[in-house]
Amino acid sequence: MKTAVNRLRGVERDIVQLPLAGDTAPYYEPQGNEVAIFEAAYKKRLPVMLKGPTGCGKTRFLEHMAFQLKRPLVTVSCHEDLTSSDLVGRFLLEGAETVWQDGPLTRAVKAGAICYLDEIVEARTDSTVVIHSLTDHRRKLTIEKKGMEIEAHEDFMLVISYNPGYQTVLKDLKPSTKQRFIAINFDFPPEDIERKILVNEVAGIAPELAHQLVAAGRKARLLKDHGLEEATSTRALVYAANMINAGLDPVAACQVAMINPITDDIELAEALLEIVQAHFAA
Amino acid sequence: MEDASRQTEIQGLLHELKDASSVAYREVEQVLPAIRTHGEDTALGWLLACRRLFDFDREAGKAFIRGSREAEQVSETVLPWTGQALEFLRWRGSWRALEGFMVNLPRAYGSLGHAGERRWAEIGLAWCARQLESGNAYFAIPVVDLSGRQGIAGIEQLATPAEELFESRKLLLSTYLAGAIRVRNLLGAQAILPWALRGADIMQAGRARGEAYFRLESEESLALLLEHLPGFRLSDRNRLLGMLLDVWYGEHFDLKESTWSPEKGRPFVETDGRSLFFPAVMPTRDEAVLAVLHGAGHMRFGTFDRLAMKEMFGAASVDFPDSGPVSWVPLFMRYGDDALRFQLIFDLCEDLRVDFRVQHSVPNYLPRLLASARAATPRPPEAAAYFDLALASVEEAMVAMRAHAPRGRQFGPLLDPGATVADAYRVAAAIYSNDELPRVTDLEAFHAAYLPGRGPNATRLAHPQQRQDQQQTQAGAEQQHEPDEQGEEQSETPQNAESGDQQDGGKRKELAGFGDTSGTSTQSGNRSDAQKQAGAAGEKGVPYPEWDYREQRYKRNWSWVQEKKLAESNMAETNRLENQYSNALKRLKKAIQAQKPARLAPLLRQMDGDDMDINAVVSYVAEKQAGRSPKPNIYRRRELRQREIAVTLLADMSTSIMQHLPEGGGRLVDRVRAGVLLFAECMEEVGDAYSIAGFCSKYRDNVSYYTIKDFEQPLSEDVRSQIGGMSGRLATRMGAAIRHATACFEAVDTRRRLLLILSDGRPEDYDDGGDRRYLHEDTRMAVKEAVARGVHPFCITVDTMANQYLPQIFGKGHYLVLDHINSLPNKLPEIYFRLRR
Repeated sequence: MKTAVNRLRGVERDIVQLPLAGDTAPYYEPQGNEVAIFEAAYKKRLPVMLKGPTGCGKTRFLEHMAFQLKRPLVTVSCHEDLTSSDLVGRFLLEGAETVWQDGPLTRAVKAGAICYLDEIVEARTDSTVVIHSLTDHRRKLTIEKKGMEIEAHEDFMLVISYNPGYQTVLKDLKPSTKQRFIAINFDFPPEDIERKILVNEVAGIAPELAHQLVAAGRKARLLKDHGLEEATSTRALVYAANMINAGLDPVAACQVAMINPITDDIELAEALLEIVQAHFAA
Repeated sequence: MEDASRQTEIQGLLHELKDASSVAYREVEQVLPAIRTHGEDTALGWLLACRRLFDFDREAGKAFIRGSREAEQVSETVLPWTGQALEFLRWRGSWRALEGFMVNLPRAYGSLGHAGERRWAEIGLAWCARQLESGNAYFAIPVVDLSGRQGIAGIEQLATPAEELFESRKLLLSTYLAGAIRVRNLLGAQAILPWALRGADIMQAGRARGEAYFRLESEESLALLLEHLPGFRLSDRNRLLGMLLDVWYGEHFDLKESTWSPEKGRPFVETDGRSLFFPAVMPTRDEAVLAVLHGAGHMRFGTFDRLAMKEMFGAASVDFPDSGPVSWVPLFMRYGDDALRFQLIFDLCEDLRVDFRVQHSVPNYLPRLLASARAATPRPPEAAAYFDLALASVEEAMVAMRAHAPRGRQFGPLLDPGATVADAYRVAAAIYSNDELPRVTDLEAFHAAYLPGRGPNATRLAHPQQRQDQQQTQAGAEQQHEPDEQGEEQSETPQNAESGDQQDGGKRKELAGFGDTSGTSTQSGNRSDAQKQAGAAGEKGVPYPEWDYREQRYKRNWSWVQEKKLAESNMAETNRLENQYSNALKRLKKAIQAQKPARLAPLLRQMDGDDMDINAVVSYVAEKQAGRSPKPNIYRRRELRQREIAVTLLADMSTSIMQHLPEGGGRLVDRVRAGVLLFAECMEEVGDAYSIAGFCSKYRDNVSYYTIKDFEQPLSEDVRSQIGGMSGRLATRMGAAIRHATACFEAVDTRRRLLLILSDGRPEDYDDGGDRRYLHEDTRMAVKEAVARGVHPFCITVDTMANQYLPQIFGKGHYLVLDHINSLPNKLPEIYFRLRR
């Protein structure tokens, strides 16, 4: 599938890229009214928070929306050592001169892009407070080091994603940050939609196989309370489908894509394998 | 000439015999012609032996003569076994052994051959020489049983350990033999020696106990057998089975280990409509999984549905009790001696009905059942008829499932989604009346008739279940009856305060009312007690509000928390635990050390330090050149970061932690102690601030909060021994404890505060009046308050039913259910590190 993102391979490109006319939209299958909500939020330029488990389609949804709204998408994957200069920008030396280099957030603010802070809880809370002034009525970014501030471009929009789960109990967002967002809840899609996703994502997969994979995945998710940190994601199902499509035996494919990555617990792995075998042995 | 004298001698012997016993004479006369075919010499030898044995012991002589005819027929010799028989003359009172010898002789020749027979007799005679009783026992046992169909090698398998044990431990063959044969049949030859050695030890400790052991009747003996029984061990794998049930049926089933032992024949999973009872071991994993799914299928798909059962009993014109457990027996009694036959047919129909429904929940279930059945060993003929019919019925169901083909007349009605157990009964009655299936009398054949995973359905009293829509009307009546039913019935009192409570004298009475508003008079006795206690502590404690959901408001100063020091301490227990878990601790510490570099990550952008922070330097120079005056924080330093996190481990110390673990191996409190201890040791390694506390309660004004270790306190011997002394008492007023723990955090200055609550059941107290929701709601509010004050509560529970209430109390993702209690000690530190990440 051709997307805006993979047009040029192996070539350095600027992070701010408008989707081109000839591109096909990234595939996304709506589960509910999330598209309408996002469009409404965009119309009013309100910041949006995407909540949901890993691999349920948050990032894909945003790629899709950015394309539909014809806005460039600037993605920042947050991590523990992310500082505010990594977002806003810093001075660099060039010869005897110093040059200011905008960070991704500043670039997005200036260009009117959608800035996506992925897994924002991973970043330290003090580095994320810079977004506060962008997320309320001010829509301003203060560049402290330069002593300047920027009024955001009228098309600029901020989106963050966040995965509530017990492994991040201590890394929750500050309430003051949280309440500045429109929050859209994501979960693993319903059965029929998940099947559609598999068929669309993996060209040439038999509908029957997609049916079995989705059924197995849904059963596997029921084991979440038995010690799985992350449930079997839609992404894992897509991977499994890809492995099968590449010629691997279905049970083996599910094992490497859906079981081995998510647990080291032998009993759990056995239970998961039991589920897979039941669905594919017939 | 010589012939003539032999003849005279023979005649003489015969005369003597005739004088001695006319019965014996007649028997000899019958056998003699056959013996004579081997020649006169042989006949003479044989007659001499008869005479000598008869003189020695009349019984011995008779036994010899009686057994001779068949022995001659099978062996086609006479003198070898005659010689062996004469050996018995060496022991007084050996006629019983000789009798056994003669009875078994033909079979020995038949199954072991001449050489084998010689060895068989040799071993037996040697035992007669050691101890006659053992010889008796040896020869009394049929040769096939002794050899286990493995020829003489099978006999040697038994005899060799027996000889060793006799030499070393004076263990007699007569004590050992019968049990040893069964052990070999169940577990194989290699299991005999360890089994017998253990038995010899027990024998030395006490004769009666030892004998019971060797008869395989004692607990120890059975436990040892179960432990060594080959196959899939359901008792060790019940977590896996629980998970599978959860996955396929989406609900929790009560799994219990049954009292099955190898002696009882084929192992089956059974159900009474409320619980699933699994045997310790089943032959294969497939069979075990099928059996558990099938058993749960019975519960799930209406075998115990009250209305359907009633209809079925009605069809059989048998009374159906309105409440209480129901016996299946009257249903089959009508068929008298043929009850087993009908039971097999009924089970076959009902199992088919259930399995067809199971297939809709569990993909591939029927094909798996079929594959497993086809791979099964051949059955005895009378069982095979049922087995094959069951197989055919499953095949029919498969066809019906795949093609929506027209259903067979016989089993078709059972495949209807609306079919009930009553339909199964009707179909069974129809098949029964056709009278084509053979009678079954033998229990082994009866057992063998079931497909893998299936089993007799009527082994336990049935507990009929109400369907949801029936429940409303009958719920009241049911409630009243249930506690009377059986001792095993759990009462509806707070489960955390179930047993071993040192001061629960008036417990039941207190439950009648709620809080202070009622039941005051009955409580007064206990109350004064409590007050005395509080008085001794010098204060009434710290008051906290409590949330009343019914009035939607806080009750001020409602629950009173007294902070105490745990009086009990047990260093011996601590040392034992330290030893027991030393490997686990080592592993955990290693894991922590491996993570340490991350904790000692360089502090960047420091004002001083031992290294340059290159990024900081660049931006410093850059900003300087840009005309700004940046701070010179351009160093990096490796050092402990300022403490980021403080954690309190709050353990539920209610009575319920004193319960014995269902899987054996001690009590829950042992795991709790071990978990807390490992947690403490790991925290020392990590260096995070932590405290340990426990809580329990009795009424709102008596919530005890035991501070075992404060944030500031080092992990001293004193603290360690207090952990070893942790025990359960009273109930669980969790909200008050959470509020107090939250208050204790005030003194600690860290960025993150974590409250880990270790629990084993729902919040409950004596004065909650049976209204579970009250303390649930209060705990939920306490959690909210804690969050508002910057404390993150996280609950770890071993209550497998916790999914029903913890999500409401702690919120999704803020609790963890450990479905494997034994993993608690290791998991507790691991969970903390995962949370801390």
